[in-house]
Amino acid sequence: MPDHNLTAEVAAAESSAVPKPAKYPEHLDYKDMETLARFMNSQGNIQGRKRTNFNTQRQKALKLAIKRARHMAFLPFVG
Amino acid sequence: MSPQLYEGMFLLDNDVVRAGWNAAKHHITDLVAKHGGKVVTARRWSERKLAYPVRGRRRGTYLLMYYELPRTGIPPFIRDLDLSESLLRYLLVRCDALPEGEAGLAALEAAPDWSAPVPPNDEAGIYAVVQNGIVEAPPDRMVEVEAAPDHDSAAAPATPAGRE
Repeated sequence: MPDHNLTAEVAAAESSAVPKPAKYPEHLDYKDMETLARFMNSQGNIQGRKRTNFNTQRQKALKLAIKRARHMAFLPFVG
Repeated sequence: MSPQLYEGMFLLDNDVVRAGWNAAKHHITDLVAKHGGKVVTARRWSERKLAYPVRGRRRGTYLLMYYELPRTGIPPFIRDLDLSESLLRYLLVRCDALPEGEAGLAALEAAPDWSAPVPPNDEAGIYAVVQNGIVEAPPDRMVEVEAAPDHDSAAAPATPAGRE
């Protein structure tokens, strides 16, 4: 039978060992070009979820914001 | 039911802006009034180099407007925007509330001594993400995330009953 207290301690130690991700805005706005550009590579592609470490909702919000910014010529489609 | 609040970003032709900013601005705001809406705030957001040429223009002036419009007024409003020759691009998004500080920024433009700067030549400057120092995120919108949660496993349902 597993020791639940020990498992909780190990889980807490592992979670505290995880480095905090970089700061990012709570709300992704298409007008905030500087923040959006951080999630694009040098060719203008939107970075994937593995790289941004975003969940589904936030990645969708990022995609929408970048596409809106591209439409308004804030950000380039390519390069 | 009160009309929905919308945020509109309009990219205006710099030739029209050079002829007079107020005329270019009122051209858009009058369209809202024409279709039964009400302009909450409207201000010159920025003049910047475009990321790519739009209708042969390499620079443009952006108008940021918050307005209320009944649902029936949206299709004719969009049709008028499409027919407008002074407008290069527009983006209309639904908005829950007026952003904090927006009313104050719009009020600055209403001051009698305020005048819009004359847009430079189309070839002036180079494109960069940061221009005019206006695109920096306000510090109150930055939050620190404690740890990257495993959303996929959290969102996944538990083991279905009767599988084990």
